[in-house]
Amino acid sequence: MSTLLEVSGVSVSFDGFKAINNLSIQIGDTELRAIIGPNGAGKTTFMDIVTGKTKPDEGYVIWGEKSSSLLDMSESQIAQAGIGRKFQKPTVFEEQTVRENITMALKNPRRPLDLLFNREAPDTENRVRAVSDDIGLTDALDQLSGALSHGQKQWLEIGMLLAQDPHLLLVDEPAAGMSETEREQTTDILVRAAKTRAVVVVEHDMEFVRRLNCRVTVLNQGSVLAEGSLDHVTKNQDVIDVYLGR
Amino acid sequence: MQHTFMAKNPSVLWFLLGLSLFTVFVTIFSEAVGSTGVSTSFLKTLGKTLCLCLVAIAMDVVWGYCGILSLGHFAFFGIGGYAIGMWLMYERTKNIVVGSLKNNILPPTPEEVEAAIGTQIFGVVGSSEFPLIWAASHSLTLQLLAVVIVPGMLALAFGWLAFRSRVTGVYLSILTQAMTLALSLYLFQNDTGLRGNNGLSGLQNIPGLEAVSQATLSLWFFWASALALGAGYVFFAWMLSGKFGSVIRAIRDNEARIRFLGYNVEHYKLLIFTVTAMIAGIAGALYYPQAGIINPAEIAPIASIYLAVWVAIGGRGRLYGAVIGAVFVSLMSSWFTGGSAPDINLGFYLVKWTDWWLVLLGLTFVGVTLFFPKGVGGLFDLISNYREKHQ
Repeated sequence: MSTLLEVSGVSVSFDGFKAINNLSIQIGDTELRAIIGPNGAGKTTFMDIVTGKTKPDEGYVIWGEKSSSLLDMSESQIAQAGIGRKFQKPTVFEEQTVRENITMALKNPRRPLDLLFNREAPDTENRVRAVSDDIGLTDALDQLSGALSHGQKQWLEIGMLLAQDPHLLLVDEPAAGMSETEREQTTDILVRAAKTRAVVVVEHDMEFVRRLNCRVTVLNQGSVLAEGSLDHVTKNQDVIDVYLGR
Repeated sequence: MQHTFMAKNPSVLWFLLGLSLFTVFVTIFSEAVGSTGVSTSFLKTLGKTLCLCLVAIAMDVVWGYCGILSLGHFAFFGIGGYAIGMWLMYERTKNIVVGSLKNNILPPTPEEVEAAIGTQIFGVVGSSEFPLIWAASHSLTLQLLAVVIVPGMLALAFGWLAFRSRVTGVYLSILTQAMTLALSLYLFQNDTGLRGNNGLSGLQNIPGLEAVSQATLSLWFFWASALALGAGYVFFAWMLSGKFGSVIRAIRDNEARIRFLGYNVEHYKLLIFTVTAMIAGIAGALYYPQAGIINPAEIAPIASIYLAVWVAIGGRGRLYGAVIGAVFVSLMSSWFTGGSAPDINLGFYLVKWTDWWLVLLGLTFVGVTLFFPKGVGGLFDLISNYREKHQ
């Protein structure tokens, strides 16, 4: 397994508060990885840095086979390079239908004139179907996405990620606010997705992480505290002290 | 494709039908065909209103669809008016000057003609020199190009600077206000070359068409305005249908999110801002020949704010809403301020609508924003919801 994403020696501070402190993480090209840690450990900031929302004060972020630096790229360029992100709060476009949401996400040319003059990319309907089948929303395609339940919105957002066909999925708390069965289905979707690409899941819920059955990175105060299987890290005394013990 | 576009946008067909019927109706009753139902001055008001509708739908696209509250789009409207006004004024003055010099014993040299035109046009600001800005004023083609290109270039430059720095929301609105204020102050100066506060006048007289009566000319301009509005409506409806429209509305609703889907938000905003500015320029170029005069007061910041008020009252995010708002408010405005509205005598105080109209408009705006965020256009939703329930 070769390295897809390499975050190395990255630090960032907001008004003197070090949100990320000399953080280094490597993600392989078909890997499922869970990132856990207490509030303020820097999980979301880590995603902000990788997706270009926040620029770090030092360190570097290297991406893909060509080893290009993500720090010089804008959010949209990073997304086009193959990094997709799901936010903590489900953010779908509520005033548009599920179909429109997925269509926007589908991997297609994204410049304004492409959209204006090549109206329907080939095979759009089938590709939308494939995604909606995957997330179980085919019946809801023509509904406004604002009318979906919370769990369905989470899936739609994951579906929009899959539609982008990224090499790396960054998923922030996918199970938040979901019922038990919805959680199970979400786990299935993520595990399936990780067979062909890398998936990084940030999650609070230990049960959920256990079901993902993958390598776990524990963050604390902006750097890596421990890394390994869930059983390995939960036995680590530091981890117990800062996180599990509370 | 055209078929599905129309099928997916039934409001476009209804709008075009309504506009055509209105045009035919007004034509039948106009003085140009010998009727007395619609006076020439009222016909001009109607034609101008159609132009205001066109700039209002441009405003709706930029604000209601894309979420950019531009409070400067009337500047582009004014620039369009100035661009066509320069040709109208130059050409007409030239015809007059040539006519009056015809009786000289020696035929006038081109330099003499030019100097005489210069004195005629710029005498009012104490000059007779042609400023550089008038270099193309002899050519109708060039000035027509300027109607779209100058607003387009200004919008492109302004938008590039603003959007690239990610200026959004109220900050962007303030910047656009500053832009239109700066432009208006600049034009107020005599040495700007556009006759300062006098502006350009006599624009209702079209050179070469002196023999045509104002009644007929007004009807032609009315038709042209209706045609431009119809074409603009179809153009924007086409633009906003499909995936492009999806992305534009997504930018309005959550700009950061659509960025993470890989869309370069700045490019989209820049395109929308520039295209709507160009359409605003066209609307202005049709409006001012009907108004007869343009001066820098026309593009004062308040004009652009009115534009936003129309769109808000009519209903944001639907093109016909902008049209309703522009028609309703601008016709009401000319009724109230024209002195036709009966004053209300409260015994202790006489409410004169010429003074109180702005208060009424302001209260309406606040009321609509608070209680009917969908505006008048929202009523159509009520009707369609009612129909669905009863089917």
